[in-house]
Amino acid sequence: MAAPNFAVIDIDRTKCTTPFDCKLCLNACPQAVFSVGALKVERGRETNPKEPGAYALGAPHRDKCTGCNICIEVCPVDAIKISFPNAAA
Amino acid sequence: MCWVCDAYGDPEYGDGKWWLNPKNHSRHMYTVKKPGQKAAAYGSDPEATAGRNVAEIMKTRFEDTEKFQKLVKEANAMKVKGPFQIGQVIPIQEAFKVVEMSYPVAAMSCICRIHSRAQEERNEHEYSCTGLGVGMFKWERWPERYKGGVHFMTPDEAKEWLVKWNKKGMVHMLMTFGGAYVGGVCNCDYPDCGMIRNRVDYGIETGCIKSHWVAQIDYDKCNGCGICVQRCQFGAIKFEVTTEKTNIDQMKCFGCGLCETACPRNAISLVDRVSLPGLREVW
Repeated sequence: MAAPNFAVIDIDRTKCTTPFDCKLCLNACPQAVFSVGALKVERGRETNPKEPGAYALGAPHRDKCTGCNICIEVCPVDAIKISFPNAAA
Repeated sequence: MCWVCDAYGDPEYGDGKWWLNPKNHSRHMYTVKKPGQKAAAYGSDPEATAGRNVAEIMKTRFEDTEKFQKLVKEANAMKVKGPFQIGQVIPIQEAFKVVEMSYPVAAMSCICRIHSRAQEERNEHEYSCTGLGVGMFKWERWPERYKGGVHFMTPDEAKEWLVKWNKKGMVHMLMTFGGAYVGGVCNCDYPDCGMIRNRVDYGIETGCIKSHWVAQIDYDKCNGCGICVQRCQFGAIKFEVTTEKTNIDQMKCFGCGLCETACPRNAISLVDRVSLPGLREVW
């Protein structure tokens, strides 16, 4: 069986450092592919959305990605790349 | 009765409905962390999907479609015996009963919306989730959600609050934390809610079980205005061009009652799922 033709969404976390504060791709995606998670968790303290690296962007629902590239258009730091490596030729 | 009621209901209370069994609101049911164990913050892995123990299954879909489908089937067969968080859709009338019997009731921020759409809910006007029970006294233990705590409400305030979210079009869903401990009445929508998404997109049932009711339309009263169509989060309602009326697919219906509360002509009613032989086993 051929590998499923899911999008591979490559997020450059050296460029995308404050996704929770920016949230442009999270709100723009028609398929709600993206998710933001707190990497820095301290007991009794709120994670600071403006602190670089405190939150990270992921794409857990990338199997629902259509490749419309709206996220790439809205990203202010050019951190997102989308490819379909298993697409039929 | 659904399979959660079979396992956790008590015929003495609320006709055996598990969310009306006072035992499932008891603080003794609340899962206490083992000493020395660190709280695993949901969302610490941005590539993970929602749901306790579901995220591991979900990751297999990228490698092996057949294996993923097999795991989902196994997870659904485990039902209450599985390690999965139980959630069930309820209509607002039942949500009223829950906020009446549980204490305390508090408004809090929705964890799903934080992760899926980075929605910051910073005060009681923005909070969209209802937390129940002793867990609400421990909000300062949820590190990444430390946003000034929770907003405690009286049962009457909680009802007003549920009506507000119902009007906006949110599905009320019971959420459990350990077994059948009723820890919240979430206000959910697709695709932002992790549990609804796991069920609608991937077929994982335990986190979003259908309610005990199902919507039924009275074609004599329906004039096809279509107000209910936009309310359905589960894709069960459409406008049927041939009859010029709204059509509800009862097989797809989750019984949340959002269409019922919005219908200006009272054409939609909620009927007992168990009274329909074809839907009796559809949860």
